Amino acid sequence: HKLSASELEEKYGTSINKGLSSSRAAEILARDGPNSLTPPKATPEIVKFLKQMVGGFSILLWIGAVFSWISFGIQFAQGAESPFDNLYLGVVLALVVILTGIFAYYQEAKSTNIMASFSKMIPQQALVIRDAEKKELPAEQLVVGDIVEIKGGDRIPADIRLISAQGCKVDNSSLTGESEPQSRSCDFTHENPLETKNIAFYSTTCVEGTATGIVINTGDRTVIGRIASLASGVGNEKTPIAIEIEHFVYLVAGVAISIGVLFFIISVSMRYKILDSIIFLIGIIVANVPEGLLATVTVSLSLTAKRMAKKNCLVKNLEAVETLGSTSIICSDKTGTLTQNRMTVAHLWFDNQIYSADTSEDQTTQPFDQSSPSWTALSKIVTLCNRAEFRPGQENLPIMKRVVVGDASETALLKFAEVILGDVMSIRAQNKKVAEIPFNSTNKFQLSIHETDDPNDKRFLLVMKGAPERILERCSTIMINGKEEPLDSEKAEAFQTAYMELGGMGERVLGFCHLYLPENEFPDTYPFDTDSMNFPTSNLCFVGLLSMIDPPRSTVPDAVSKCRSAGIKVIMVTGDHPITAKAIAKSVGIISATSETVEDIAKRLNIPVEQVNRREATAAVVNGMELKDMSLQQLDDILCNHSEIVFARTSPQQKLIIVEGCQRQGAVVAVTGDGVNDSPALKKADIGIAMGIAGSDAAKNAADMVLLDDNFASIVTGVEEGRLIFDNLKKTIAYTLTKNIAELCPFLIYIIASIPMPIGTITILFIDLGTDIIPSVALAYEKAESDIMNRRPRNKKKDRLVNEQLAVYSYLQIGIIQSVGAFVTYFTVYAEQGFLPSTLLGVRVDWENNAINDFEDSYGQEWTKYQRMYLQWTGYTAFFVILQVLYLTQGRIIRKLFIRRYPGSWWDKNMYY
Amino acid sequence: MARGKAKDGDGNWKKFIWNSEKKELLGRTGGSWFKILLFYVIFYGCLAGIFIGTIQVMLLTVSEFEPKYQDRVAPPGLTQVPQVQKTEISFTASDSKSYEPYVKNLEKFLKDYSADQQTENIVFQDCGEMPTDYKDRGPYSDAQGQKKVCKFKREWLENCSGIQDPTFGYKDGKPCILVKLNRIIGFKPKAPVNDSLPAEVMAKYSPYLIPVHCAAKREEDADKIGTVEYYGMGGYSGFALQYYPYYGKLLQPRYLQPLVAVQFTNLTYDVEVRVECRAYGQNIQYSDKDRFQGRFDIKFDIRSS
Repeated sequence: HKLSASELEEKYGTSINKGLSSSRAAEILARDGPNSLTPPKATPEIVKFLKQMVGGFSILLWIGAVFSWISFGIQFAQGAESPFDNLYLGVVLALVVILTGIFAYYQEAKSTNIMASFSKMIPQQALVIRDAEKKELPAEQLVVGDIVEIKGGDRIPADIRLISAQGCKVDNSSLTGESEPQSRSCDFTHENPLETKNIAFYSTTCVEGTATGIVINTGDRTVIGRIASLASGVGNEKTPIAIEIEHFVYLVAGVAISIGVLFFIISVSMRYKILDSIIFLIGIIVANVPEGLLATVTVSLSLTAKRMAKKNCLVKNLEAVETLGSTSIICSDKTGTLTQNRMTVAHLWFDNQIYSADTSEDQTTQPFDQSSPSWTALSKIVTLCNRAEFRPGQENLPIMKRVVVGDASETALLKFAEVILGDVMSIRAQNKKVAEIPFNSTNKFQLSIHETDDPNDKRFLLVMKGAPERILERCSTIMINGKEEPLDSEKAEAFQTAYMELGGMGERVLGFCHLYLPENEFPDTYPFDTDSMNFPTSNLCFVGLLSMIDPPRSTVPDAVSKCRSAGIKVIMVTGDHPITAKAIAKSVGIISATSETVEDIAKRLNIPVEQVNRREATAAVVNGMELKDMSLQQLDDILCNHSEIVFARTSPQQKLIIVEGCQRQGAVVAVTGDGVNDSPALKKADIGIAMGIAGSDAAKNAADMVLLDDNFASIVTGVEEGRLIFDNLKKTIAYTLTKNIAELCPFLIYIIASIPMPIGTITILFIDLGTDIIPSVALAYEKAESDIMNRRPRNKKKDRLVNEQLAVYSYLQIGIIQSVGAFVTYFTVYAEQGFLPSTLLGVRVDWENNAINDFEDSYGQEWTKYQRMYLQWTGYTAFFVILQVLYLTQGRIIRKLFIRRYPGSWWDKNMYY
Repeated sequence: MARGKAKDGDGNWKKFIWNSEKKELLGRTGGSWFKILLFYVIFYGCLAGIFIGTIQVMLLTVSEFEPKYQDRVAPPGLTQVPQVQKTEISFTASDSKSYEPYVKNLEKFLKDYSADQQTENIVFQDCGEMPTDYKDRGPYSDAQGQKKVCKFKREWLENCSGIQDPTFGYKDGKPCILVKLNRIIGFKPKAPVNDSLPAEVMAKYSPYLIPVHCAAKREEDADKIGTVEYYGMGGYSGFALQYYPYYGKLLQPRYLQPLVAVQFTNLTYDVEVRVECRAYGQNIQYSDKDRFQGRFDIKFDIRSS
């Protein structure tokens, strides 16, 4: 970028007028590859699939299956009579693993697909000069050395060194986070390529003007490409729910294996055959492993994900659903997320009084007092001294939704005027413009001269707007209640106060003045010349001030306060000016009304900033420049000690530092972002939230979730859903674990007391995979408990998905109750068929002996083997049915009626999850 | 267990087991442990109480004398004596050790059928020498005390009675087996309608008899079985109806179920011979799933040396 145009031509072997030749371009294309960002490497599908097959409980079940086959092999070799049971069991177990694997894989793939469609972009076209001709080419085919023409509204197709530019402005927000468009020219202005004005970057947008430039970098070698690859370098952290599930799997697997081994030893020492013991072992494993649970969890998560998608949160990664629920810090962008991302008139000052305007999204009228003649004058200036226009053909749209050609503040003024006055364009037509000086940065005002709409009044009206202090300098009078009064020091003081007040609210203030040109000096035919300024530009009449701001979305303050009560810290991270940032933070409640920053305290107590006790300040506004000089300790200190923090003027790198700082506090951090520059932070965050409308693809790729409406309030809904799913998963797991005991007890008693088998292994699988899935999934629909958003976010280390209480509650209380219930049923069935409980104890060996076909029951009747088996199956059925009935009653009745009576009591703490 | 994991990920086990500062054993204070244990003692105590109580109540609903349901046990199975390990009889005629288990089994089973066991006239009743009709003995309750039981004379089994030959023919390679119909309370087997029977059975027909017949399981074994002798009440090869119905263990503690002895006098040696015995009756059924319902099969393997 330091080279001159001709040097560039030489370097890239191109010509500014003719461009590259097609053949040369093809050569370079072959060398450098297409001009596009390489998508992040995807795990091969087969690996993903295999991972599902061996993860979690699958290993245990595989072991069970292998054991079954081994015992089948042994039995078969020994020529036993019915060895096929074990073969089938093994096959069923393997099928279960494979099916749940396929299911989980399918769910995973489905949610990934939603994203894939997202990243598909409309192919971008670029206007290139090649072979001395202008051609439209897909942007992917651009190569270094190509001459590209860009105009307002285009996306910059590559990193471009400008050779010529006319009023070119680019929006670098996706790269640097700066929200103001920046002008671009062909002059080298800065050593740093990122700062210099003669380079336009890939993926940024040209807002207005035209430019021509040479492509200097393409694809991954562009600045944005490098940031994108930085993002893929940031490792993906395990989601909290994945950690919880892993913890749960370990716990249950531990229980399963220890009970299994214990009873293997017991049964061996009770002189069961090794083969039998192995079969018991399989039974115990099968009883203990909640086969259906992982599928249930997946289904529950995807149900929630669906529900969230309806509320405009698109979840990319299923597990991220819950992460949002455990979020304790949200680092939010300002522009677009908290605010409406459009300038709106917020306050007016005329007649020595400040009026506030409605800044909501769908305003149709303005409530302030419009009867003053000063307002009439002011409104005329606002209407006339404005170059913005509505795009034609939008008459049916609400004013706020119409598209405007013009810059942000003019747009705001135009819409403001349209809302109050109605058809602005016809007013302008009635007051024909005769001369105009557009705004520029040296004189800082905009001026236009109009004919008046009163046919009797032949005077010209000169209207001017601009930086208030510059405008005031040019005024000698001020309009109060429609009368011009001399501008004395008292009135100037009033102006200053108002100006400071509005500026202090972080608003952009504009001053307005006018002057009716005397008819005698400026007749109809007077030739106005804007270059020589042959008309007065001083001694004007000051009319009023208007201040504008990008107002917060109306739903945001409520959402922030919800976050507050949910114990979530909301931190604003913005590239904007600290004062604006603070003002917005205050208006949405990120800085609450009563809290003060160190600076505020200093101001109030009239002492230097250094003397303020930092602990007294709950809020902090940290400037990017300060942040740069801070050590990690200082940052941690700020994050710890202030509950309300705003980071202003921050760079993308600093966003990453802030996120890491929060994570060092042990927080689960959610980060919102839209630009490519945000993608490292999005990836680093526990849950990255990208903006669906404003977001760049890189951001969406790096994020776990996409907010389709860019609205902060949607995050809160997401948090609620996330917490709900955690609670509901807890219920699901409690439900599932409970049943484990009721499935396990029969086995243990069967081994120890040698009774006929109360429930078969296949029946257990039936329960786990068949009848159990639906109620478990139904628990995902459970309504939230009322305090869900008034709790603190769960502590990653302490509030586990499965904790001691839950395990104890499920295993030792409800599980035992169910087992007792089931055994009553079991004994009833046997007793009614002729085997009284006392007869059953210790009969296992004879009971299962194929050769004994005259087995005597309590009444002296004799049973064949098959009749006994038939009875045993009846027992299975009864056991199965009673368990189902008990499940039905279990969760709700026991919970609602007996237990949740005294929250916080000893009972609640020790007995209940 | 979960608490242990949560607290002591960093290997703080000693402290977890006994925390001297807070006086906590395994993460709980003594008082807390006491409360927890007390809770579980009471909780499980109550559960045990409920369990026992419910079982007792359930037992009250079940009659002492007859089971509530019999749908799983009827129709009856047919079984044989001796029963040793498998339904297989395998021995060497010259080696008394090889058939000793069968003989002992038979002897043990027939002990109750000996004449000296059937002397008490309060218990036993002479039901004649020939098959006759059912003997109903009133309701299934002990209002009239215990029910009488028909005598079954061991002598009826002739060669297989073990009276003359204590080895039941095994030493001559002519093994006896005893066939019995499984006891089922209140079950009244119905004599077969005559046209459905094999010719051999028809030869000695009685309307008060459930005939038993043994034949080769497989066609090709038919000639290996040789002659089959049947011994039973009055020379009939079957179960006489006057022994039915059975009134159960409490009312007829010394009930003697009618037997048929089957002697295979000319079995082929050194090959496996499969024999299937069937009982015939209108309400005696066979099932493919239950190979012992109304019939059974038994494998003979007699080695010559």
